Amino acid sequence: MSNAVRVQPDLKFVKELQEVGGESLKKCYQCATCSVVCPLSPADDPYPRKEMVWAQWGLKDRLVNDIDIWLCHNCGTCSDLCPRGAKPGDLLAALRNMAYRKLAQPSIIGTWMSSSKFLPILIAIPAAIYLLIWVARAATLGTAFPLFDAAGKVVATGGRVWYGGLFPGDFTIDPIFSLLFLFVVFTFYKGCASLMQSFKSLPKTFVVGRTKEPCFCKCVVDTIKNEVAVHSRFKECGQEEETQSRVKGHLLVFYAFLALMVVTGTVAGAHWGGFVLHKMGLDGVFLTILHAFGDTPLSLFNPVKLLANAGAVALLIGLTLLTKRRMGLDNAKQGSSFYDWYLLGMIWTVALTGVMSELLRLVCWPGMAYPMYFFHLVAVFMLIGYLPWSKLGHLVYRTAALAYARKIGRIPMI
Amino acid sequence: MAEKLGVYICEGCELAKSLDTQALAEHLTNGKYSSQCAVVKTSAVLCAPEGVDMVAADIAAEGLDGVVLCACSPRSKWDVFKFGATQVERVNLREQCVWSFQADPTFPDLLQTMAKDYSRMGIIKCLKSKNPNPEIPVTNKDILVLGGGFTGLNAALNAAKMGHNVILVEKDAALGGKAAGMLKTFPMTYPFTQAQDTGVDKLIADVTANSKIKVYTSAALAKLEGAPGLYTATVTSGAGEEQLPIGAVVLATGWKPIEGSFLAPMGYGKFKNVVTTAEFEAMAKKGAITRPSDGKAPATVAFLLDVSMAVKAAEAALAAAQAAAAAAPAEAPKTGDACETAFVYKNMESAKHLAYSSELNSLVALKQAGYVREKNADASAYILYDHMMVPGINERYYRAAQDNPGVMLSKADITEIAQDGDGGILVTAKNTLLGENIELKADLVVLPTGMVPVTALEPTINLQYRQGPAFPDLELFDGFADSNYICFPYETRRTGVYAAGCVRQPMTLATAYDDAAGATMKAIQCINSANRGVAVHPRSGDLSAPVFNFQRCTQCKRCTEECPFGALDDDEKGTPKPNPTRCRRCGTCMGACPERVISFENYNIDQMGSAIKEVQVPDTFALGGPRVVVLVCENDAYPALDMAAFRGKKWNPYVRFLPVRCLGSVNAIWVADAMSKGIDGVMLLGCKYGDDYQCHFVKGSELCNRRKINIAESLQRLGVEAERVEQYEVSIDEYDKIPALIESFMENVIKKFGPNPFKGY
Repeated sequence: MSNAVRVQPDLKFVKELQEVGGESLKKCYQCATCSVVCPLSPADDPYPRKEMVWAQWGLKDRLVNDIDIWLCHNCGTCSDLCPRGAKPGDLLAALRNMAYRKLAQPSIIGTWMSSSKFLPILIAIPAAIYLLIWVARAATLGTAFPLFDAAGKVVATGGRVWYGGLFPGDFTIDPIFSLLFLFVVFTFYKGCASLMQSFKSLPKTFVVGRTKEPCFCKCVVDTIKNEVAVHSRFKECGQEEETQSRVKGHLLVFYAFLALMVVTGTVAGAHWGGFVLHKMGLDGVFLTILHAFGDTPLSLFNPVKLLANAGAVALLIGLTLLTKRRMGLDNAKQGSSFYDWYLLGMIWTVALTGVMSELLRLVCWPGMAYPMYFFHLVAVFMLIGYLPWSKLGHLVYRTAALAYARKIGRIPMI
Repeated sequence: MAEKLGVYICEGCELAKSLDTQALAEHLTNGKYSSQCAVVKTSAVLCAPEGVDMVAADIAAEGLDGVVLCACSPRSKWDVFKFGATQVERVNLREQCVWSFQADPTFPDLLQTMAKDYSRMGIIKCLKSKNPNPEIPVTNKDILVLGGGFTGLNAALNAAKMGHNVILVEKDAALGGKAAGMLKTFPMTYPFTQAQDTGVDKLIADVTANSKIKVYTSAALAKLEGAPGLYTATVTSGAGEEQLPIGAVVLATGWKPIEGSFLAPMGYGKFKNVVTTAEFEAMAKKGAITRPSDGKAPATVAFLLDVSMAVKAAEAALAAAQAAAAAAPAEAPKTGDACETAFVYKNMESAKHLAYSSELNSLVALKQAGYVREKNADASAYILYDHMMVPGINERYYRAAQDNPGVMLSKADITEIAQDGDGGILVTAKNTLLGENIELKADLVVLPTGMVPVTALEPTINLQYRQGPAFPDLELFDGFADSNYICFPYETRRTGVYAAGCVRQPMTLATAYDDAAGATMKAIQCINSANRGVAVHPRSGDLSAPVFNFQRCTQCKRCTEECPFGALDDDEKGTPKPNPTRCRRCGTCMGACPERVISFENYNIDQMGSAIKEVQVPDTFALGGPRVVVLVCENDAYPALDMAAFRGKKWNPYVRFLPVRCLGSVNAIWVADAMSKGIDGVMLLGCKYGDDYQCHFVKGSELCNRRKINIAESLQRLGVEAERVEQYEVSIDEYDKIPALIESFMENVIKKFGPNPFKGY
C-alpha cells in the first residue's frame, strides 16, 4: 500500500517510558474511555488513547513530536475511569517528564534530574559554591556566624544578623544568580526552539471559518492572558472538588511566585539603580527612595516587604493545598513521579528556608540563621538553575506549546 | 394394553374454580369408557401425599393397570406421579385447558367441552398403550478410545478409573499426539497467567502403566460393526488384525494442520522467513528460535492473526472453480454399465478452518510471543490480530501477556506481505489502532495454523452401517464431528460414538481435559443403558423401541434411509433390521412408514389416531365453533406452551394439543384421521430448522415439512384445501408468540376456508 507509514517499534523506549512514570501503560486495551471522558481533549483525533498505543509500540518519533501531551493538565479523570488501570494520565505526565529531560542541553542535567539517586550531585553544586564563599568570608570576618552593628561592622555581642554581611549581595548573590538566570533563559530559548522544531511534522488542522493562521505573537499573548493568567483550560480540567483545590493551590503558588519575583526585581532594581545613580552623582530624594527599597533587610512595614511576606504566606497555603491533594491520590489510579515530588519538595524547601531565615534573623539566632540562609540559597539556586529540566519547565514549554497549538488550530483562540 | 383404569381429576391450582370437576367426573364415569374406568375420582390436591396415596391405594385395591391423571403438565410433578408398573397418562388440564382458556361468549360451555376432550384423549391413549418389554442384550463393557493424544489419554484414564477396560488405538508410533510436540500450553491453573507444561508425558506414563488400558500404536480402526454395547472393532496394527468386542467409542482423533497452500496468499512457501505456528512451536520445542533463511535468532517476530487474505483467496478460487465447472458441462461417466461406484469421502478441509481456529490462534500467538521474549530479552513480538479471542479465564492470560513490554499488540487488517532485501518480511496493514495504514518490518513472520479435524479428511470410524461408514452431514460443521444439537456436547449422529477434543471443535487442553471426561461418561452411560434396554439420549431411560410388523413391510426403505441415526440396517431385499441400541426412540421411522408397520408399545399410529378422534367436533361452526388439532413437538414447542400458560398467556379455545415425540414421527395418517373426523385444520408445531437447527433428533421438522407436501397432495385429491395443514417453527424461548401464532392460523386458514367439508359425516 502506497500510503502506509513505516513504524519502528522500540522496546527500549517502552521500558524508558515505564521508568519515568508510565509503568502501567501496557495494561491499556484501547477501549478509548480515556479520550471520551477527558474534559479537554479535542473531538478530532483526541488524546490520550492514541498516545497509549504509540507508547505500547514504543513509537518514539510520534511521541516526542506530540503536541497533545502539553494540552493535558493531568486532572486524572482518564486514569480514574480507566477499566484496566492503565493510567493514561500518568503516561502523558511521563512523556512530559521525558521532554523535560531531553529538550534542554546539557542533557546530563536532564539525567541527573530524572531520579532521586542523582540528587546529591544536584545539591552538591550550589552547596559547594556557597560553602566556599562562606568559608572565605568566615576567614575574612573572623567568624562563621557574624553579628553586625548598624554600620555593618562585626561585633561580638549586641549586633544583628545580616545575611548581606556574610554573603554580600553585590559579589556573591547577584552576579551568580544573574549568570544563572541568563543561563536558564538561554537554555529555555534553545529548548523551545527544539520543541517548535519537533512540532514541525504535525499536520495542520483545518479550522472552519479561519482564513489564515494567526501570528505566533498573538497566540503567545492569548495563551498568557488566558491560560497562564487565569488558568482558563486548567480550570476545566476535572470537575471534582479535589481538582478545584488543585486549581486554587496552583494559582496561589503561581501568584506567590509572581509576587516574590516582583519583590526580587524591585529590590535588585532599586539597589543597582541606586548604585548607578550614586556613581553618576545624582544623589537626592529619588536616591533616598531607591535606598528604601534597595537596602536589605527591609523594614517589616516596607510595602515591598509586606508584599514579600504576603507572597510567602500565599505560597505556603498553595503548597499545602497541592501537597495535600497529591498525598491523597489513590496510587492505584494515579501515581506521582520523582518529577512531581522534586518540584513540590523544592518549593517547600525554598519557602520554608526563606521564612525560617527571616524569622531566625528577627530573633537574632546567628548559629541557626546563617545555615538556614545557606540552605535557602542552595534551594533557590536549585529551583532556578535546574528549572528547564524540572517539572517547573512547563511554565515555558507548555506556554510555548499551547501558543503553537493555537497557531495550527489544534486548540481555538479564546 | 391397559384395561382397567383409574381416572383422577385434580382440583388444586385453582382448577376447580373455573372447571366443574364433578361434572367432568360424571361425564367420564358414565361416558363411552365407563366400563374401562374402574375408578373416577376428584382430589383437592392430587400431588399432595393424600392424593398420591389415594391413587396408590386404588391401584392396590382395584388392580388398576393404568391411571389417567387430569392435572398439570406432564413436565411438572413427574417425579411424584410414579406408580411402578402401572402406566401413567397425564392430561394437561392446568396449562393447556384452564390457565390458558380464553372465553368465547357465544359458547359458555367451551371450557367444560375442552376438559372432556382432553380427558377422553388421555383415557384412549392410556388404553392403547402398554408397558414396553424390550429384549435386554448382553453387552460388552470395553471402551474403545480412538486417538492417543491429550484427549484420548485422559479419556482412557477416566474410563479405566471407572472400571472399564480400554482399547486405545493410536495411528502414530508414539502416544502423545499434538500435545507431545508443544513446548508449553496455555495456563490451566490459577492464576492463569503463565504458560505451562502440557503434562502429556505423565499422561503417557500413566496410560502405559495402567493394566486396564491396552494400547495399540501405529494402528487403525479398520471396521466398526454392530451397535452400541455390541460392537466388534477390527483393529489393524503391526501385530496384524484383531477383532475386539467393544461397548462404546470415544472419538478423540484430533486434528491436522491445514494444507500450506491455503496460506500461500500470505507468503507462506514463497518467503523463507514466513512460517506457521506449528513450525514455530516445533522450533521452540527443539530449543532455539531461528530464521529459516540464515539461522540467526530473530530480533522481531510478527504474529499475524488476520487470515482474511487467505480466506478471500480461497473463496475466489472456489468461485472460479465453480464458474469453470458450470461453463464446462460434466462429462457423462464413460463406463456406463459400472453402476457401483466406490465410496468416496468428501474432503471438507477449507480456509474456513483457519477462521474456526481463531480463538486457539489468538492464544497461541500470546504463548509464542512469550517464547520470543523468554529466549531473547531484547526481542520484540508483534501481534497483529483481527480479533483477539480470549474468552473466559483466558482473559487473564491475555492481560499477563500484554503486560510484557516486548509484546506489542494491535488490531490490523493485513493487506500485503512482502520480502525485504535482507530477508526481513514487510507486513502492511490497515485499520490499525496506530491510526493509519502501517508498514512493519519483522525478521520472522508467523502465520496461524488452521485446525482441520481428522473427520474432515476421512470417515475415521469406518462403521459398517447401511447409511455408510462415516458420520452423516458433517458438511454442516465443515467436518467437525460436532454434536447435532448444541445442548448435547460429545453426542454424535451415531449412538455409541462420543466425540471429544479437537475433532469436535478447536479447543485448549484445559477444555479437552473436560471433554475427555464428558465423552467418557457418555460412553459409559451408553453401555449402561444398552444393557438395560433403554435409550441413552436424549430420551434417556426410555424402554420403548420401534416394533416392526414385517408381514406388511413393502421394503420401501424409507425408514432405513430417513433414520437420523442410522439405527436401521437392512438385508439384500431391503427388509429393515432394527438395532435397538443405536435407536434414540424419536419415531422418525414410524412417521416415515407409508404402510404403518412400525410402532412403539406406548406410542403408536392407532393410539394417536384414536386420540385425535376423541376430539368432539360440532357439526357446524354455529353449534360450537371450529376445531383445530395441534401436534406439538414435546421437546421445545410443548415446554413453550407450558411456559406461555405459566405467564398468563391465553389463546383460542378451539384448539386441542397433542404431544408428539418429534415432528419426524408424525405419520400422514393422523392428518387424514383429523380431516375425516371433520376437524377444520391441523397445526404442526416443531423446532426451528435451518442454520440454528434445534431439533433433538436432527431433522424432524425438515422431514415433516417434506412429508407435508405429500399430505397436501392427498388432501387436495380428497377435495380438502392443502392450507388446512400448516407447520410452524417455535423455539423454546418463543412462548410469547404462541397465542398470536394460533390466532393467525384461525384467522388465515379457518376463517378463510370455512368449515371442513367432511364435517358432519
